Amino acid sequence: MEYEKYWCNSSQHLTGRRQFLGTALAGLGTAAGVGLLAHPLGAGELTKQGKSLMVIWLAGGISQFESWDPKSDVETGGPFRAIPTTVPGIHISELLPHTAMQMHHMALIRSINTTVMPGADDHGISTNAVRAGRLTRTATDFPELGAAAAKALDRDDFPLPGHIFASAGGSGGRQNNAAYLGPKYAGVTIGAKDGVINSVLPNGMTVSVDGQRNSWRRFVNDRFQQRHRSAQTDAFTQSYEQALQLMNRREIFDVSREPQTVQDRYGSGELGKQLLLARRLLENEVPYVEVRHDGWDFHHNNFEFHIHYVADFDRPFSIFLSDLAERGLLERTLVVVMTEFGRTPKINPGYGRDHWPNSWSVALAGCGIHRGAVIGKTNDSGTEVVDRQVDHRHLFHTYLRAVGVDSAGEFNIGGRSFPIADTATGPIEELLT
Amino acid sequence: MTSPNIEKTTEVTLDGRVAHEVRDWVHTSRLLACRVDPTGRFVFAGSTDRTVQRWEIATGNNTTLVGHDNWVRTLGCSPDGATLYSGGYDGRLIFWDAAAAKPQPTRTIEAHKGWLRALAVSSDGQWIATGGNDRMVKIWSSQDGHLVREFTPTNIIDYEAYRTKQIAEGHFVREFAEHPQFIFSLAFHPSSHELVSGDLLGNIHHWNVETGQLVRKLDASELHFNIGDVSHNGGILGLFFGVDHKILSATGLHKQTNALANGQEGVGLVFDWESGKKLRKQERLKNSESSTMWRGVYHSSGQFIGGLSNDIGFWMPGEEDLYYALKTKSPIFDMDLHPNQIDLFTAHFDGHLRTLRLQPKPTSPAAS
Repeated sequence: MEYEKYWCNSSQHLTGRRQFLGTALAGLGTAAGVGLLAHPLGAGELTKQGKSLMVIWLAGGISQFESWDPKSDVETGGPFRAIPTTVPGIHISELLPHTAMQMHHMALIRSINTTVMPGADDHGISTNAVRAGRLTRTATDFPELGAAAAKALDRDDFPLPGHIFASAGGSGGRQNNAAYLGPKYAGVTIGAKDGVINSVLPNGMTVSVDGQRNSWRRFVNDRFQQRHRSAQTDAFTQSYEQALQLMNRREIFDVSREPQTVQDRYGSGELGKQLLLARRLLENEVPYVEVRHDGWDFHHNNFEFHIHYVADFDRPFSIFLSDLAERGLLERTLVVVMTEFGRTPKINPGYGRDHWPNSWSVALAGCGIHRGAVIGKTNDSGTEVVDRQVDHRHLFHTYLRAVGVDSAGEFNIGGRSFPIADTATGPIEELLT
Repeated sequence: MTSPNIEKTTEVTLDGRVAHEVRDWVHTSRLLACRVDPTGRFVFAGSTDRTVQRWEIATGNNTTLVGHDNWVRTLGCSPDGATLYSGGYDGRLIFWDAAAAKPQPTRTIEAHKGWLRALAVSSDGQWIATGGNDRMVKIWSSQDGHLVREFTPTNIIDYEAYRTKQIAEGHFVREFAEHPQFIFSLAFHPSSHELVSGDLLGNIHHWNVETGQLVRKLDASELHFNIGDVSHNGGILGLFFGVDHKILSATGLHKQTNALANGQEGVGLVFDWESGKKLRKQERLKNSESSTMWRGVYHSSGQFIGGLSNDIGFWMPGEEDLYYALKTKSPIFDMDLHPNQIDLFTAHFDGHLRTLRLQPKPTSPAAS
């Protein structure tokens, strides 16, 4: 990367610029009530033709038995049966009848063992590591998948934040999950309920007056920049321009603009609303979009709760997939259903399942993967992986490769090189197209 | 009905504090249900290994009954003890010759779509009621197994219309959370052809079985909890009439703090049957522990015995707080009283079927 020159003639400002950008944007977000002013500064070295990565994060640990790797005829398997899918030979839990009809868009990885990570059965430790694809990770050591994808898929001309959490509620501020990539690539939360808050001019402020004050701001900034240009002044200037672009595009975040039939199809549940917003963001080529579905930590009454939780996921997820497919978006979007670990084969005395990092599953759909593939296998009782064992580091590589990112590459940040993914592992090549 | 297996059934006093274990039979898988046949000869248990286990009480002889294709959740017996009825998560209702040397299914009915969770037998033995995840309550003839009547709760969407619409739209017919009002519990009134059904949301429906009419609804919604907008917890897990047939206990859980990790306490709600008025709770007010009351029984003394997961609670008639809690070795999911009112059989998670004798231990000569 060729660095721009500043008045002090130092290239080190690149890092500082981005750090400052995040700080400035956060400040502006607070002041203006618009907390999502990321902006691609400089050339993105890994532009990937509008590809996107979409994660549905099932927080708490969905049971692999009650979802992607059912074991119907063994004591560990629980009371749910396996049902066929649209891919001959692939069976999933009967709790997922709608998803079963979309299996031809999907692939399953059934051989995940994350016990390589110390503390793999702890929610926090596992969540941090799985989301960053590293052996271990504190909350700020390494960027999460969303930040890495946003950085790697960055585009100069892209006006929206590259790393968005589509929430069912209101909008929020920027998250701290980009580590050395800088705040620009940290996640921002956009609510399906209210869209981007405070994104219209306040009462009494006309477009004309707003244009005049922006013209004055630009005039003053330009004059100042002529003598004192720096990364900080660039970021300051750019953040305002980004805010204006975002305000002009606020309709993207407004799911009420969808036809009522579409809204009805996605349903009134929170996940459906999030996924509908996510689809709109993917249509607009946001590099990384994530929705979150909380509560999958069923130490008690695992089977009763899975009935409700999986059903709450199943229909909107299947509608989301079919919608992406119908619109052609699945050809440039990888969808991943992630969680931090699986659940124990052993059923505890409260008919719950506890944390189990030894053998669990994730599901994927969309671009860059062989659809209808099943990677790996667990034994008959589901207690261990018996074929093609992988861990979260392989998954991280695989997700990025599927959207065209060379996960063996490096990020160049302020003159320093940072591996995009864990260097000791690689992607699941046989899953990739 | 008299039987050599039944000791005196009158004037049996009860003091839960003297209850002690007298038998411990072990099965290899978790037990979910148990019933003693009305003659007192056998005790049956439903298991997660898809079998029904039968023990002859006098000898301890064990027989395995095979016919279900999923967990066996609920059991009932004909008044003469000749027929056992079992219901499972395979949706099946199976009739068995209870006393046969090797009982085989004499009738298998695909009774419900999805889980069959509850089963009750009318006091005259004429009808068997079943309910489950399809939200339906169905009445079956004990004579020939034909479907006599079926009820759909009237306060919610019409299930058949819903199914028709689903099919027309090309969707799967769901048996699960799209119909969250699963039927959890059933009980026939002991002296009439009336039935109560309890659901996940805390609704108790009172049905006239002969006319098929919904007579009234009782509100036990305090036993239901929402988990966000996604899930539910609790519901009417058991329904039990008092010995005088004048009160009805609905059991379940309350005081939920963390449902996903068993942060809740078992409870019964006592209703006056005639007025439908809520009279009191049956709970553990002191030294409470996390629990769920899946099952209770009324003893002939009028006392209520309730399973509190790892304890068995004893309530005096009319009392809100239990007077004694007996610690168990493994969580209890079902229990039943022997007709002699002296022995209480409990089905446990650890696969054990235990017998508690509700009388003092005999005093040995050495001890005296």
